[in-house]
Amino acid sequence: MSDLIQLLLNGLSTGAVYALFALGYTLVFSVLGVINFAHGAVFTLGAYFTFFLIGGAAGANGLLAGFQLPVALPFALALPLAGLASAAVALGIERIAFRPLREHGADPLLALITSLGAGVVLVNLIQLLVGAESYAIPTSAMRDLPAAIRLWGGQVRTVQVVLLSVAAVLLVALSLWIDGSRSGKALRAVAEDATTAQLLGIPSGRMIQIAFGLSGFLAGIAGGLVGLSVSIAGPYFGIGYGLKGLGVLVLGGLGSISGAVLGGLIIGLAEACVPAELSGYRDVVAYGFLFVVLLLRPQGLLGKVLPTKV
Amino acid sequence: MGVSMRSPLCGRTAAVVLASVLSGAGLVASCSNRDAVAEGPVNLNAGVPVGAVLALSGNANVYGQDQRLGLNLALAAMNGGGGINGTPLRLAIEDSGSDDPGANAAMTLQINRGMLAVIGPTLSQQAFAADPIAQRRGVPVVAPSNTAKGIPQIGHFISRVSAASYVIAPLSIAKALQLQPGIQRAAVFFAQDDAYSTAETAVFQKALADKGLKPVTVQRTNLADTDFQSQISATLALKPDLIVLSLQGVDGGNLVRQLRELGYKGTIVVGNGMNTPNIYPICQKYCDGLLIAQAYSPELATPANQAFVKAFTANQSRSGKGPKIPPQLTAQAYTALQVVAEALQRLDKRQPLKTLTVAAARKALMDEILGGTYQTPLGEIRFTPEGEVIQKDFFVAQVRMNPGGRSGRFALLP
Repeated sequence: MSDLIQLLLNGLSTGAVYALFALGYTLVFSVLGVINFAHGAVFTLGAYFTFFLIGGAAGANGLLAGFQLPVALPFALALPLAGLASAAVALGIERIAFRPLREHGADPLLALITSLGAGVVLVNLIQLLVGAESYAIPTSAMRDLPAAIRLWGGQVRTVQVVLLSVAAVLLVALSLWIDGSRSGKALRAVAEDATTAQLLGIPSGRMIQIAFGLSGFLAGIAGGLVGLSVSIAGPYFGIGYGLKGLGVLVLGGLGSISGAVLGGLIIGLAEACVPAELSGYRDVVAYGFLFVVLLLRPQGLLGKVLPTKV
Repeated sequence: MGVSMRSPLCGRTAAVVLASVLSGAGLVASCSNRDAVAEGPVNLNAGVPVGAVLALSGNANVYGQDQRLGLNLALAAMNGGGGINGTPLRLAIEDSGSDDPGANAAMTLQINRGMLAVIGPTLSQQAFAADPIAQRRGVPVVAPSNTAKGIPQIGHFISRVSAASYVIAPLSIAKALQLQPGIQRAAVFFAQDDAYSTAETAVFQKALADKGLKPVTVQRTNLADTDFQSQISATLALKPDLIVLSLQGVDGGNLVRQLRELGYKGTIVVGNGMNTPNIYPICQKYCDGLLIAQAYSPELATPANQAFVKAFTANQSRSGKGPKIPPQLTAQAYTALQVVAEALQRLDKRQPLKTLTVAAARKALMDEILGGTYQTPLGEIRFTPEGEVIQKDFFVAQVRMNPGGRSGRFALLP
């Protein structure tokens, strides 16, 4: 029994990160129908923002060598601020890489490339400014919390519990906002049909900005939490999560918020189920599972098959 | 004199593009069976050209940073002492990233630039990819940090100053058993997608077997892994009292931290991949107590090492950042450039470089490298005819973290 609990704890803690990451993809996809490939870079930035806001100093290999903010905030304050800073970056990406194409009526597919370009520029900018070395949010950010706790016979790192809890709160808050608020419903309307929503008086452009801002906020929070849980392994560390987030997005169903959550948790659990001796192959299991699901259900677990208009 | 150092922003991309262009040029040249650069005279206008291929970005950047410092210190020392018989040494460092294609591109670029020798690449995995290019083109390579079995065997032009893992790794296992004779249950982790890790874990596992210890579990990870909760849960359920890691700095640092956070209190032996102070920010206070075998001691009382330590300390005092005690990788990189520079000095005295073609200089330089004996920070070293380093002194160190867990040192064990 304790083995099963341990497996669940391992899977959920990993899956929560994937879910949080994929939600950002989903928000943008739901309103624009394209994937924002700069999302991984925003996630990475969130980790760096958090690192600097808690008083971290840049290493010796970038233009900002030795740079340190004059403040050292507690992690609980630094994390949401990093989320907001990441949201601002995401809004900038929308302004630079998405809006001009939209205004020119370009094929949405082109936004894949511009967002990819924006992501590459951001990652290289990070490297130029703070070098390629690894950074880590000090374990002291956890204050007096124990390093690990026992839950129902299983053991889990406290930071993973924090991560899981924050992710759960954000997911619930986002769902409540989308389902229960006027602006959330407006976002859904834009996601359903932007042109019709505009005709009904809903400012589509503003809703798209909100989607990007929220997406960036979630990415920043996820980056900060992952940075706390493991290290920030250089400017490229969001790439692996980005790929996994894409898998989660597709598994859950493109554009489905609840699907992103479910997909993230399933991938996390699937990875946790891989026998420890074979855990080096867990990506094969995760993507193999994704492959099988898509063969049986191409729209993903909670995706909808849209009727073809003739 | 001077270092021609490219910005990390564009270095790697530019390397790939330039390498492609130059490879194209090389292809055209090969169609006519000519290598214009190799057949031309050695270009000494800006100094004697030596290249380096280092992992300054990607997961292995933690090693490249240490190595760059060592090369720059050696460059300053060599040129301060008159360079190559009056001509300054010119060092061009190229970022290879941490993968094979990056190493191939950077190596090709350095060769096509007419470098007489190349120091690097950082990772054994990269060396297995990029060194055959140098071997085919007849360019001497001195590896400062490749420890996997089979590196010098790639070919005549490939040598290393980093002792092979089969020489060093068993020492830390022996020390762990000496410190804690009651060890009975060993667990092993290694990165299955990395040549160094797979080579070193075989050595570790043989060393354990020689001591009568069969691992209770062997866990395979990947270099890009950061979350090891599942593997650790499974491992700790088997109650090991010794855990042996063959991992790189970032993944290894994260694993150590998570092992300790999840309650493992036993001995941890780590391999050469974690032989850098750059692991301190990753595993932080949990780095404390790690056992590691080393090919370098800052305490070695030889004039060469004392001069190196003095230069290192002065540099760190000026910058105010980084470790205060030289890491092994820095010492090995320093040694690699020293070896190349001294071999160039001898060659230039016998046959002035300006009278040689690049190809002839490269070939003669390789013979000089293999034929010499060098007083280095690592102690006296020389090479087997195959290019394997012959070194006398090895050590075992234990990581001691300072209060606060932000900095520490490798404390040598008696």
